[in-house]
Amino acid sequence: MSAQALKTETPATAGVEPAPFDSWLPQAAAGEPDWLAAARAAAAARVHTQGAPTSKSEGWRYTGLRTLLEQGFTPVDEPPLGEPMSALLPEDIEDVLVPGLDAHRVVMVNGRFAPQLSDLSGLPAGVRMNGLRASLAADPTALAERVNAVAGDGAHVFASLNTAGMDDGLVLHAGRGAVLEKPVELLHLSVGMDEPRVAQPRHLIRLDDGAQVTLIERWASLGDALYCNNAVLEIDLGRDALLKHRRIQLESPSAFHIAGVYLRQGANSRYDGINVGIGGRWARTDLVTRFSGEHAECDLQGLYLAGDKQLLDYHLDVHHGLPRCTSRENFKGIVHGKGKAVFDGLVYVAKDAQHTDAEMSNRNLLLSQNAEVDTKPQLEIYADDVKCSHGTTVGQIEPEMLFYLRSRGIPEGLARRMLCIGFAGEMIDALGNEALAGHVADAVGRRLEAATL
Amino acid sequence: MLSVKGLKATVDDKEILRGLDLEVGAGEVHAIMGPNGSGKSTLAHVLSGREGYEVTGGSVTFEGRELLELDPEERACLGLFLAFQYPVELPGVNNTYFLKAALNAKRKYHGEEELDAVSFMRLMKEKLKVLHLDDSLLKRPVNVGFSGGEKKRNEIFQMALLEPKLAILDETDSGLDIDALRVVANGVNSLRSPERSMLVVTHYQRLLDYIEPDYVHVLAKGRIIRSGGKELALELEEKGYGWIVDEAAA
Repeated sequence: MSAQALKTETPATAGVEPAPFDSWLPQAAAGEPDWLAAARAAAAARVHTQGAPTSKSEGWRYTGLRTLLEQGFTPVDEPPLGEPMSALLPEDIEDVLVPGLDAHRVVMVNGRFAPQLSDLSGLPAGVRMNGLRASLAADPTALAERVNAVAGDGAHVFASLNTAGMDDGLVLHAGRGAVLEKPVELLHLSVGMDEPRVAQPRHLIRLDDGAQVTLIERWASLGDALYCNNAVLEIDLGRDALLKHRRIQLESPSAFHIAGVYLRQGANSRYDGINVGIGGRWARTDLVTRFSGEHAECDLQGLYLAGDKQLLDYHLDVHHGLPRCTSRENFKGIVHGKGKAVFDGLVYVAKDAQHTDAEMSNRNLLLSQNAEVDTKPQLEIYADDVKCSHGTTVGQIEPEMLFYLRSRGIPEGLARRMLCIGFAGEMIDALGNEALAGHVADAVGRRLEAATL
Repeated sequence: MLSVKGLKATVDDKEILRGLDLEVGAGEVHAIMGPNGSGKSTLAHVLSGREGYEVTGGSVTFEGRELLELDPEERACLGLFLAFQYPVELPGVNNTYFLKAALNAKRKYHGEEELDAVSFMRLMKEKLKVLHLDDSLLKRPVNVGFSGGEKKRNEIFQMALLEPKLAILDETDSGLDIDALRVVANGVNSLRSPERSMLVVTHYQRLLDYIEPDYVHVLAKGRIIRSGGKELALELEEKGYGWIVDEAAA
């Protein structure tokens, strides 16, 4: 059935919709390990039971699923036996690379690991990286204990969908004390296909005690194709481990993007995450953190730019179940045109999680009458000796600032852009990598230049 | 250079300027003095094009153009410069980037080629030397975390770079100690030239010890009620504003 046919049929069946995600699920793959087939079947059953969340479901109040469901996404086709998933050559992807970024590169094309575009040479001892399928082929039982070890069976229907339909992914394992000097770039490249397709990568990242890695996760497209990515990252940090995680979402303007980042942090570990959201038509990101040891620190930062016909939605869920952990949530957003952004940050401090130190901040610049931000900071605190705070602002460009720039001869449009870039600058600087910061600054600049501010 | 005729302006329907006349010739330094609430800052803001003021009468020509019809940025490009009483902090906007954008906007307006990074840096270094400014200020966001003195020096630095034809200094002495005042005044004096006029708006005479005006005007209740040479400022310092306001009312 074509996507067009599905689209026109939807209104007729509205209200019934027995199984909204059926088209997303792949046929059972032959030769898969039993444990994986069982996990897929269980997840598919959960998807059936759960169905699609509605605006009445907690966490989906501001995020309508109708346009997503109307597309009738189907899985990316398997390539004929023995042929590569993607015929792209390194020169085909030059335009989407970050100039000057020195990194170990892993490229996924439409959700499948593309070895011919990747460069895994020069990895230090103790660091292993491979595709998920390749890992399973090499050792069918190796990942049995790792899939869903951090994400859990969960309540999130898209995580279940990903388990049921996972195509491929990155398996990264940094052994005890391993320090990766160069960042790992995980580039997701989407190329338009004949029909609206959904790719469901599953990435498994594990840092053993004391390991240190920088992961630059990027989402890009060749062309303005309509597609969907539904990704799950499971990140497991051992004691004293440090992961710097940069997530740069620059999907095609027609794309749907769903990402769940599930994080488990051991004692004294540190997660330093920055999420940049600029692309996509409809994007939903869930960042979910659980601590498994004391003195761990979780830093979740973000910058989003939502414009016309664009929804960017971030849900943060940090659960302090143990004492003496620290969390920071700091998201900034610029919303223009008829754009819409959602920030839903939850910090939960359990009864026993004394000496928790948590701060949450969400600041927004609203550049038009029609722009919308739904910001919902939530602190739920059941311990009595904690340091927790939150702050939210939604404002416009300050007329004083604008006049100051104009009084120096700077035209109004440029002045507004300069102030927006200034607002975003804190996050761009925080990326801590000059090449990447330049890449993001360019993307922000291009977006603001194209927008009516 | 600047010709103000019968200028009337209101803020929130309250009349602040009530028929102000002022002629500033090329190279002249005029001081506008007056008690609080006399309309000094309003005059500076109306001339520079700030929003929130309604001009209800009169006209202003600057370099032969009807100034009040122009956007603030066009006024600036024509050579008008306002040194702010309270320079605005611009978080995240790098000072060097800001200065370059301002300079190049002006060059573009006049059909000149924009300066590349190298020529711009060379020009900045030259101007910094003249003003004895620390170049660390250039790497920071505009005015963010600057001391009061640094903010005012940054204003004068912008003026040095943009080389205006008419500089309006709005209460430039406010919030400055005597040392900072001297530095700022020296900077301003170094920029005096036969082609550059200045309008120095101040409540106190002390700034005029350092920036010597050619003419002094007393503004009260939205009008210039007395004009004279620099000796008028000294008289005001001695006797206050009361006598002159009373005299004008009589």
